[in-house]
Amino acid sequence: MITQILINSLIRGSELALLAVGLTMIYDVLRFPSFVHVEFGTVGAFIAFSISSILPFGPITAIVIGGCAAMVIGGALGVASDRLIFSRLRDATPIILMVASFGLAFVFRFGSQAIWGASPQSFPLPLMRSWSVLGGRLAPQSAAIIIATVISMLVFYFLLNRTRLGIAMRATADDADLSEASGAYSERIIRVVWFIGAGFAALGGILIGVATQVQPNMGYAVILPVFAAAIFGGIGNPYGAVLGAMVIGLAENVGLAINWAALLQPLGLVDTDYLAIPVGYKQAIPFALLIFMLLFRPQGLLGRKST
Amino acid sequence: MTAFVVYLLTIAGIYGIMSLSLSLQYGQTGLVNFGQIGLFMVGAYASAALTVVAGWPIILGAIAGVAAAALFGVLMALPIGDLRQDYWAIATLAAAELIRVVFLNATLGDPYVGASYGVSGIPSPLLELIPDGSYGWFYLALVGLCAAGCYGVVIWACRSPFGRVLKSLREGGDEVAQALGKEVRRARISAMALGGAIAGLGGVLFAHYIGYIDPTYFLPLETFLVWAMVILGGSGNHLGALGGALIIQIINNGTRFLNLPDQFAALRMVLIGVLIILVILYMPKGLIPERRRRYGGRNAARR
Repeated sequence: MITQILINSLIRGSELALLAVGLTMIYDVLRFPSFVHVEFGTVGAFIAFSISSILPFGPITAIVIGGCAAMVIGGALGVASDRLIFSRLRDATPIILMVASFGLAFVFRFGSQAIWGASPQSFPLPLMRSWSVLGGRLAPQSAAIIIATVISMLVFYFLLNRTRLGIAMRATADDADLSEASGAYSERIIRVVWFIGAGFAALGGILIGVATQVQPNMGYAVILPVFAAAIFGGIGNPYGAVLGAMVIGLAENVGLAINWAALLQPLGLVDTDYLAIPVGYKQAIPFALLIFMLLFRPQGLLGRKST
Repeated sequence: MTAFVVYLLTIAGIYGIMSLSLSLQYGQTGLVNFGQIGLFMVGAYASAALTVVAGWPIILGAIAGVAAAALFGVLMALPIGDLRQDYWAIATLAAAELIRVVFLNATLGDPYVGASYGVSGIPSPLLELIPDGSYGWFYLALVGLCAAGCYGVVIWACRSPFGRVLKSLREGGDEVAQALGKEVRRARISAMALGGAIAGLGGVLFAHYIGYIDPTYFLPLETFLVWAMVILGGSGNHLGALGGALIIQIINNGTRFLNLPDQFAALRMVLIGVLIILVILYMPKGLIPERRRRYGGRNAARR
């Protein structure tokens, strides 16, 4: 039982982590929360689905190739969005950028619906037997989600810490003017951030699509958990975003499994022996966590204290 | 056809009230409320539940709906009163979804009322007094009257000293208002209470017009229709908010009777998204720009 809850939390956390890391990067460099971010996941999943369905290989090879292609296309869409819209609004307030990003989210979400239809579709995966891990069950596609996330995070860590580009990215996020004066061309860095952020979001969407189904609302369905993860870890902190994603995954799964009466009864708050959060409220857990975080520690768990 | 036009104008009027509320919150005060539909939902549900389940008279249900929405506006603002607007955007979106999840799961008095069953049989005001066939016109007039009343209240509030405090929050951030000795947190919460009451009235009118509500009427999508109305009409100009409501509702509803394929419904939303972006890029002041008031005498203006 406990192993299963931990496995489910890890899967959920991995799905959210890729989206949250990209979101926190774009938030940090461009100084606004991008409401279009999760839609790159939706579009990426649909593109991967379309490409993999026309490739003449076995389903797994096709999904891997389609997924890689969709990541690149998703990243390119991110760069295109920046060139067409956000680069013209560099001097605008974050409020205008947020509203513009919401308009663009509409275009992507409903554009996907117009092209691919509203009904959910599944990747043509063969039926696979789940593995037994320490008394819990782990489906192969879930293992693939965790592995893909870990690999992406390692690549991202290497990029951020061991390459000139990564150092320039961090410098731009810290102080754009200063890093530009030191020779890092910030417009180029911003393009790279959009490419990586949107590409990661596309991969996150593909993984959610593999685990469940591909549909136009899939990105929007995780927007608040993803924001909660990014804020929980502290905006601009990619490690914090991964940690936040894991905490959200854990909170969603553990919150439902706990018998709250055992905790509340000694305090004299309830008089029943069993009190669980109804399943219907599962999606409310990250929202509640988000508001709680804003109330007590808006700079996030690992965030720097700022305004 | 006439019935459809009356329906369209009624819905546009109800959304006009919503966009007046957002115009007060965003246009005047600079608050980014991405949970606008939550206020509308609380108003609609409070009035519907009290009239249908508890059997209250419609007028009392309506007053309770407005009050409940104002209270929800205060609750939304309380945790974030001191935070930056990017946090407001996320937190208000979360608050509206939270309340929607609650209404999606909670039954109201009866196991088949509330939750995903919704609330049906919401009474229409003065139904027995109005001659057959003209009820649509009556309701349109009622909505028009309420919209005019809300417009008056918003204009009055914005011209009052309180309105100037709100504008200073938008223009100067916290420092300007604080330097003048104003409590910024209280001003923001008051703006959300008034905005909540107005949006709640919109919700009440919606519930008693449609006669049936369930949580699918209150998706975050609707919040962004309202934002599109305010941005298109010209933020900071309350008349523009009403005009924007009419235009967006014509786009949203105007093609419904043409019997177009499903895909078209999605394209309508794409069009609204493109419209928001184009207005921000090329017409940032909207259709009816805000009139900049100059304070002080003739010489102060010429300086």
